[in-house]
Amino acid sequence: MSAYLVSMATYAGFFIILALALNLQWGLTGMVNFGIAGFYALGAYTSGLLSAKAGWPLGMSIPMAIAAGFAAGGLVALLSMRLREDFLAIVTLGVGEVIRLVVLNEDQITEGPRGLRIEAQPFQSLIAPENYPVFYLGFVAFFVAITYWICERIRKAPMGRTLRAIREDDVVAGVLGKNVFRHRIQIFAIGGGFMGLAGALYAHYSQNISPEVFMPTVAMFIWMSVIVGGAGNNRGLLIGAGTVIMFLEGTRFFGDVLPWLDAETMSSVRIITIGLLLIVTLRLRPRGLLPEPKFTYTKDKIAG
Amino acid sequence: MNLQIFVNALVNAALIAPPAMAFSLLFGVLKFPNFAIGGYITLGAFAAYTFNVPLGLPLPLATLGAMLFTGFVVWLAHVWVFKPMQDQSAVTLLVVSIALTLILESVVRLFFSADVRGFDIPLERPWKFWGARITREQVEIIACAVVLATGLHVLLRHTRIGRAMRAVADNPMLAAIRGVDAAKITALTTVLCGAIFGLTGVFAGLDLVIEPLVGWNLTIPIFAAAILGGIGSPYGAILGALLLGLAEELTILVLPSTYKIAVGFVIIAIFLLLRPQGLFGTAEIKK
Repeated sequence: MSAYLVSMATYAGFFIILALALNLQWGLTGMVNFGIAGFYALGAYTSGLLSAKAGWPLGMSIPMAIAAGFAAGGLVALLSMRLREDFLAIVTLGVGEVIRLVVLNEDQITEGPRGLRIEAQPFQSLIAPENYPVFYLGFVAFFVAITYWICERIRKAPMGRTLRAIREDDVVAGVLGKNVFRHRIQIFAIGGGFMGLAGALYAHYSQNISPEVFMPTVAMFIWMSVIVGGAGNNRGLLIGAGTVIMFLEGTRFFGDVLPWLDAETMSSVRIITIGLLLIVTLRLRPRGLLPEPKFTYTKDKIAG
Repeated sequence: MNLQIFVNALVNAALIAPPAMAFSLLFGVLKFPNFAIGGYITLGAFAAYTFNVPLGLPLPLATLGAMLFTGFVVWLAHVWVFKPMQDQSAVTLLVVSIALTLILESVVRLFFSADVRGFDIPLERPWKFWGARITREQVEIIACAVVLATGLHVLLRHTRIGRAMRAVADNPMLAAIRGVDAAKITALTTVLCGAIFGLTGVFAGLDLVIEPLVGWNLTIPIFAAAILGGIGSPYGAILGALLLGLAEELTILVLPSTYKIAVGFVIIAIFLLLRPQGLFGTAEIKK
């Protein structure tokens, strides 16, 4: 049971990093990204392949995963220049699916549906195996904290105000002399980097990655976390991600209480519950559980 | 050139064109890409299956039942979900519509397992001509698609309701001022499109298989056809479907067939970047 809780908390960590990255891209800057699963896969496979096939140390393969996500994010951001946000949604979803299809089909490199086995884990030799899950939870929590800190810094900095201005009206922000183009590319790249990091952390945790983990439903759960929590608010997002993970993973306990439900039924019930959670939340609280605070001109609370 | 490629492309287009037209109409009144269509199509396929196999109704009756049922569910979704949320941003609505697809798919999975199913129809040898093969069902799908497209054309161009639908899609406020009941017309369009998605579910069940993911797998080709033809232009959607069908069949010649779904995405990306108004749409004036 406690081992199960540790594993659930670790997964929540990957989830929160992805959600923070999306909140940076969409909640703060207004750029749509439905290719989250693709960036997650990119990070996981970059670090996984470099360490399992090329024998790189993790100290280099994990930063490479971040770099890959960063570069991909910068490239995809170029699309946002020309596309309306709902169309950008379809195109980014396509980017994610294409990444998954490449991983699935180029199996002489990625091992495709058989799954890529990764032996290397960070600080493997220093920690006793029985303590390792708890250590890894701490390791992930450390990166969640760093991600949260960076996102909050960006939000509160003058740059955060510029980003909100771009989100509300990019033409006005441009007229005021802000470089909309550069800001958008920067933020999308940073978000992509975080998603790559989450992927790498996942890869070395599960030690076996295969394309079916990176289905578009992952993107959906992250989007639901951000919308349920309240877009633009990092603290609300922790609540949103926590709620979605609780529904997603917590409903597994029903299996112990109601033994006549088989795994197939359970997974259906789980998805129905999460979908209804989103719809009910939006009906009752259209701006999410903890909405972004309105901008106010008080001296000591400029960040508003 | 192999004739079979063109036959396959034509069947594909007949499958995709009606829902692409419906998607275009729906986008016109609701103003966001509705991913729930995947769930509606799956629902239509399974509703027809239930009428046809366990209840033993003949397929045409089962199809009618599936269209009515899907239309009703789409109307419920409109009243309970999309109408109360119409002030949300397009992206939020898009996420909600994907959630709705996941819900519908899971409900189907709850009642029917993930097994692959088929309708209760006699197996027949496909017809052959000049080295190409086509089944009886495929001919029926093409015929139905042509009838449906003509019907939609007559409805949109030559009836009061059709004119009201176009007016609401064009400018709901102006339509309302001119005495059109915009809310009623929107609901009507939704139900009509729902019936078309139900019919597509039946076609998909005939030509492909009946399984919970059938709708999701068709969603991207439908979007691609609608965007290719120019979103909001139901006639463009027909040509879009033909071109997409051909592009998909031609890709199979050079790439593994598992990449087929990527074709739709690539076409969407290229068109949105180079010609966002599609082949027949009119350019939108951006502020």
